[in-house]
Amino acid sequence: MSKPTLLLIDDEERILRSLRMLFMTNYTVRMTTDPQEALRILREEKVHVIISDQRMPVMQGSALLALARETSPATMRILLTGYSDLEASIASVNEGEVFRYLMKPWSADEVRQVVAEATAIAQASYAVQSHAPAVTEDKKPRVLIMDDDEAVSKTVCEILGDRCEVIWANTAQHAMEELARQDISVVVSDLMLGDTNVGYILKTIKQLNPQTQCIVVTNFNDTSRLIDLINQAQISRYLPKPLNKSSLARNLDSMLARFHALRSQPVLANRQAVAQISDPKEKLQSGNFMGMLGRLRARIGV
Amino acid sequence: MRFNDNKNFARDIHSLVNPIAAIAPDKPVSEVAELFLNPDYAKVLSLPVVENGIPIGVISRYRFMDLYLKQYARELHGKRPIRNYINHRPLLVELDQPLAEAALHIAEHMSFPLTEDFIIIRHGKYLGLGFVMDLLKAMESQMRANTNELNQAYSQLKSSQMALVQSEKMASLGQMVAGIAHEINTPLGYVQNNVAVGQELFIHIQNLIAGYESLVDNLLDEQADEAEISAQMEQIAAMRLDFNAEEMLGDMQGLMVDSLYGIGQISELVMNLKNFSRMDAAATEAINLNDCIESALNIGRNVLKDKVEIIKELTELPKLTCTPSQLNQVFLNLFTNAAQAMETMGRLHICSWYDEQAVHVSVSDNGKGIPQENLVRIFDPFFTTKPIGEGTGLGLAISHQIIQQHGGEIRVESRLGVGTDFHISLPFAAGNVAQSAQPSIH
Repeated sequence: MSKPTLLLIDDEERILRSLRMLFMTNYTVRMTTDPQEALRILREEKVHVIISDQRMPVMQGSALLALARETSPATMRILLTGYSDLEASIASVNEGEVFRYLMKPWSADEVRQVVAEATAIAQASYAVQSHAPAVTEDKKPRVLIMDDDEAVSKTVCEILGDRCEVIWANTAQHAMEELARQDISVVVSDLMLGDTNVGYILKTIKQLNPQTQCIVVTNFNDTSRLIDLINQAQISRYLPKPLNKSSLARNLDSMLARFHALRSQPVLANRQAVAQISDPKEKLQSGNFMGMLGRLRARIGV
Repeated sequence: MRFNDNKNFARDIHSLVNPIAAIAPDKPVSEVAELFLNPDYAKVLSLPVVENGIPIGVISRYRFMDLYLKQYARELHGKRPIRNYINHRPLLVELDQPLAEAALHIAEHMSFPLTEDFIIIRHGKYLGLGFVMDLLKAMESQMRANTNELNQAYSQLKSSQMALVQSEKMASLGQMVAGIAHEINTPLGYVQNNVAVGQELFIHIQNLIAGYESLVDNLLDEQADEAEISAQMEQIAAMRLDFNAEEMLGDMQGLMVDSLYGIGQISELVMNLKNFSRMDAAATEAINLNDCIESALNIGRNVLKDKVEIIKELTELPKLTCTPSQLNQVFLNLFTNAAQAMETMGRLHICSWYDEQAVHVSVSDNGKGIPQENLVRIFDPFFTTKPIGEGTGLGLAISHQIIQQHGGEIRVESRLGVGTDFHISLPFAAGNVAQSAQPSIH
């Protein structure tokens, strides 16, 4: 069996040489400092994983990964950056849809593990991509809104009309009950519900229902928290408040479509596999939530 | 009788009250005169004359002197009531009057030479006597207190101004730090990875060498088992297939070179930061201003590199005595402002030259320019056109101040859509900083 292919892009050649050495034993390593060349390789070769720097003179990494998504959808995308600015991390979610957002300097073991995981997922993606059976939906998709502000829920109702069932939860407890009871297609959530930081709920959802798509709507601007949400919750979109209705509508549509696509090909849900929760407090909260889910589901017989 | 001890600072009229017994208007003149001889009244200039609790006047020691200088005065006036001799318009001060107001009132109505004390009343009724000197002392101590307060307020203002200046310095440094973090993280990334890779390689090589060594041992041992030797050889062959030591070592050599380069880069960045901030921030030094420009360019490299092409025309300059860390800050501020003014890749033209009096630096960009209405306010503190949170509006104000402290001048010219020019001139021998650099005479 041939080795999987790893594509590296960075404007610093020394980074490329260094990473190549880390992976050359188990991977076919392709590397370049030129984003155009990277896109050419993606078109012409079967690339399992692409690792890109963010800050490059010609093109930002998030933009390159957005193009990579179109050129080679099965390729898993990883951003490796020494610069954690908010703009870049938002772009990497919304445009690049990255699998992981990694920081320089990196741990060799961690990068190796992430790449191995991504490679396995990419291989599975390549295997199923060609034959996608159409699935007819039997019931209305459900959209859960987690926000103090009912206006968000109303806006979503206006956008979706009677295509979906929209549920509004304004407490963490209520949200968790809804998530336990029902198969939710899309979650639209702020990061805070009342005084509760709901990051742990978003991080737990993906572990339970990998197909559920999360759209975070918030006016928080905390880059390191966002990076955590990328890696540990695989949020699909990060939209700043105040909300732009047309952008929300566009993103709701594409997330509902993605949910359907994943229903027909559950293997692809792995593309949004999450990293372990790193914060000890959130880990505990997530554990409690899972326990509660188990009990609730047993009681209502889901 | 005891008087108030006014050595302690009096804060109000209350503390000035001397409860001296009032004189009835019908008291004979001679008896009143006796009172003035009482040693307890030695300090008293005048005595109050009160009728039904209401002060109707004062009789002063001075008036007695006047009166008694005349012949037979004691005999003529001694038995008459004092009422006929008093000043009917005494100085009256209400007890609750503020000290300063009372002082003003007294100063306006006081007669010279000072011959009378003032009367303190409450709701029109006599309360006691007040001494003008006490009032003056109280006023003086109050003024001293005020001065202290003013001094305190002034030093508070001064320190909050310094805090603001510091926070601007931090804000502009904050932007730099984010950029520098990236610059350091990149070499740190590959250096760390190279070391990790090298460590693994080391283990491989160790295993390989151990394999070779035991094979050699066996080959030299005449009693060695042939089968064991061939098994060992197979094992080594497998290891060699699995791991191309020569190639790996060659690559590793390259990574070592890279790592050293990376460490060099990190050291250089740290050095730049150190040069830039100069722990002895206020120290003056005779330096070449081009070094400040280079230092600011190094620190700002990350912000500047994708935004502007830098064209330098730096003339070799004579040394100038200045505060380098402050001038670094001025240049960095001008450079980053210029980069921020660029909508697309722009040009930043930096020139330095000198004449007999001064060193000149011009910083010109081809950015969007500054509208006239903003240009006049550009050096005002807190004036900013940057979004909230991005600029404190102090950068240029501080730059202006720094240049002024150096006895220099900073001017700006701008044309919309064409660009902005800043011109700085720093005189060789002006301002407080340059004085220490005056050549000594031999």
